[in-house]
Amino acid sequence: MTLSKLSIRNAKRQARDYLVYFVTVVMAAALLYAYNGLVFSQEINTLSQSMQTLPLMIALASVVVVCVFGWLVAYATKFMLLRRGRELGTYLLIGLENKQAARLFFLENLAVGGCALVFGIFLGGLLYQAFRAIVLALFALPYRFSFGFSLPAVGLTAAYFALIYLHALRKSRKYIRKANIHDLLYCDRQNEGIVIQTGKKRRAVFTVSIIMGAVGVLLLMAGGALFGVIGAGLVILFLFGFFLSFASGVPAFFDKRPARKYAKQNLLVFRTLTAKLATVGILMAAISLIFTATLISEGTGLVFRGLFAGRAADAACFDLYIGMNGPSRDHTAYLDHIQKNIPVEQSVLYQVHFSGAPTVQNYISARTTYYFSYAQDPVLRYSDYAALRAIAGYPAVELKPGQYLFHCQTYLEKTLKDYTKPLTLGDTVLTPGGVYTEHLSQSGGDTNGRGYILIVPDEAVEGLPVHHRAYAAKTSQPVRQEQYDAILNLHNEIVEWNQPQDTVITKAHEEMGLASQTALCVFPLYYLALSLTMTAATILTIQQLSESERYKRQFALLQKLGMDRREMAKALRRQFSIYYALPAIPPVLIGVPFIVNLARIPEPGVMVGANSPLAIAASALAVFFLIYAVYIILAYTSLKRNVLPEAV
Amino acid sequence: MLQVQNIEKYYGSKNNVTKALDRVSFDVEAGEFLAIMGASGSGKTTLLNCISTIDAVSAGKILLDGVNVAGLSEAELAKFRRERLGFVFQDFNLLDTLTVEENIGLALSLNHENPRTVQDRVREMAQKLGITGILEKFPYQISGGQKQRAACARAMIAGQSLLLADEPTGALDSKSSKNLLEIMDAMNRDMGATILMVTHDAYSASYAKRVLFLKDGRVFNELLRGGRGRPVFYHEILDVLAALGGDVSDVI
Repeated sequence: MTLSKLSIRNAKRQARDYLVYFVTVVMAAALLYAYNGLVFSQEINTLSQSMQTLPLMIALASVVVVCVFGWLVAYATKFMLLRRGRELGTYLLIGLENKQAARLFFLENLAVGGCALVFGIFLGGLLYQAFRAIVLALFALPYRFSFGFSLPAVGLTAAYFALIYLHALRKSRKYIRKANIHDLLYCDRQNEGIVIQTGKKRRAVFTVSIIMGAVGVLLLMAGGALFGVIGAGLVILFLFGFFLSFASGVPAFFDKRPARKYAKQNLLVFRTLTAKLATVGILMAAISLIFTATLISEGTGLVFRGLFAGRAADAACFDLYIGMNGPSRDHTAYLDHIQKNIPVEQSVLYQVHFSGAPTVQNYISARTTYYFSYAQDPVLRYSDYAALRAIAGYPAVELKPGQYLFHCQTYLEKTLKDYTKPLTLGDTVLTPGGVYTEHLSQSGGDTNGRGYILIVPDEAVEGLPVHHRAYAAKTSQPVRQEQYDAILNLHNEIVEWNQPQDTVITKAHEEMGLASQTALCVFPLYYLALSLTMTAATILTIQQLSESERYKRQFALLQKLGMDRREMAKALRRQFSIYYALPAIPPVLIGVPFIVNLARIPEPGVMVGANSPLAIAASALAVFFLIYAVYIILAYTSLKRNVLPEAV
Repeated sequence: MLQVQNIEKYYGSKNNVTKALDRVSFDVEAGEFLAIMGASGSGKTTLLNCISTIDAVSAGKILLDGVNVAGLSEAELAKFRRERLGFVFQDFNLLDTLTVEENIGLALSLNHENPRTVQDRVREMAQKLGITGILEKFPYQISGGQKQRAACARAMIAGQSLLLADEPTGALDSKSSKNLLEIMDAMNRDMGATILMVTHDAYSASYAKRVLFLKDGRVFNELLRGGRGRPVFYHEILDVLAALGGDVSDVI
């Protein structure tokens, strides 16, 4: 048999034995190809000006992703090499030269990598179509399926793969070339070794690491670059300290509590776990670290998306809005320009007044976080409000005589519903008549109030001071980018650079901005998150499945000793759940407070509903555990099938 | 206590059937120490696997205390094994992630004994077998003889009525073998343990009160020790083995 035939046969067997690893490498190729597709897509890069930075963002993320996949492939290759040491040693024993054995190993890994690349590029072609559909949907453009390959993307993916594989294979090639037969035959006996042995040291490391973890999370939550760096450093130390001391600490815990040790399947579960953790403590810490980074990436992506979406939803309620800063600004130039250049279906030019006192503002500030923009409560005439509602496409609302209404952002709804005080404007006294919360451009100094505005009968504003003037319109076509730019140019002609600036908002521009920003931050961050989760989960799974033989022997013996099959399945399930839960618990404890805190940073009123901090944390967790669960289910079914003995 | 009645065991598919056991019958009385001897491939281990209920017979009956083990469900079989049978294997079969104490306690834990009393009972048994000093150690830290004594402790601790030993001295040096056999003899004599030992070592078999010889899946001969001394019995066993035509290397 020639060397290449033997290589191909081994490659086939390897792909079968390490199916999870092979699937992950295929997925890695698919991800790399799909993202490279985005980098080289003319269609996507020309969607908007800011989308031109997408290739750069993805290229930056790719550097990390290639490193992460490089680590996975190098780890798995070394792992398989050590497990197959006996086989390679046997080749040497029957007369193969080291050089030839190294070549054999190199060829078969290259075959596995090459197959994964080909499968991955096909799968990546489909994944790219999904990405394309998402991007086009973000820009509200029609999508049509068209399968094809981008040659530059294929080339770059192949180059990344070559880097990843050559790095891993160079290391193992060097190892085999230098190894002697004895080393290869017995290399599967090498272990990481227990790092911390004594009880006193163990307890100290455990305690110190827990304190460092807590302080690290607090510093991360406090924000700021310096605190952030120190916090991240402490969290890393915590993870390593925790996993190294945890594996040695659990037996000590049970040794002091023999009754607990011998209850149910505790003995088997904890001993199997600690035996495993004692040898892979550092690896578990690294995996936990990767999971933490994943969760934070996913959470940060969602926070940014929520932030952009929240801001855009509030701002983009009118086809065209101009907030003129100060009551004395001349609006005629704007109106003339619009009349000539933009077909308008309905419009309103109106004024936002001051009520004379910040009574409602004081009430709100005392009860919730509130950002100030106005010195007094802003007031709007009912007829202007009705026109604004019609322009925005909202149903009409009624204002009963002697009453006033609140129009506010949702985060103030509950607070204002509880507000019962009458409003006195000159001689008129009005009572609260209801609260409305549709988006109404309410987040700036020249918009319809900051978070809230009072709607009063037209006659009640007589004599009230004007804070600013504004214009809102419903256009027959969405305002195009060049029309928006023309208004901005006009603004620059009217308003000197050293004067307060006006606000020009168009729905189309806001929506395009949202689409670009979402694509720019969500795609790269999820690229990272997906690659990291897949890599870490694969390594965990390889580690778990590598114990199959030992577990099989253990359960065969337990069957002889009369352990019930259901109890065996239960013990395996428990042991398996703890094994997979352990590296995921610290990331959840660190990631969730971090995400919630991050989502609380933007101004109030933005991160609400599906974008509220807790909802974002829940979504990030859901995405993370969804991917993780796929690996857990795959590993569990495979392990259960291989390990549990058949019934007699 | 144990009645083996006309059991047969076949392996293989339709066209290629191997008869591992051929109408084997014998009884074991309570408190007896029985050895089963035979060359490699004579069916010793198959017989032991059938008695230990981890393999099913193709025909015939195995009754333990009057209970036909073939009629039991999987869960009942598991219960039967952990309550009634104790095992000692050639390769010790201790779990390498558990300490000696835990390996012995495992048998009680599987029997759902009160977890509070497990440690005390293990220590009591360890004292009887002289392994108190190694209870905290892991299997890789102790000698083969110590491992096998730990396995004996595990096999007896839950009050199992029948101890099944599969080549228990197979992986031991002569001194450790002798030591283990004396312990098994004491367990049989002082603790009333019923022992069924499979071996191809005449020296080990000479510790038993009765020896059954298997050849090609059939009971070929039977020797009773009676009132004779162990060395005499040993020579008688060697004589039978010679008549049996077993491989000389099997006869130490």
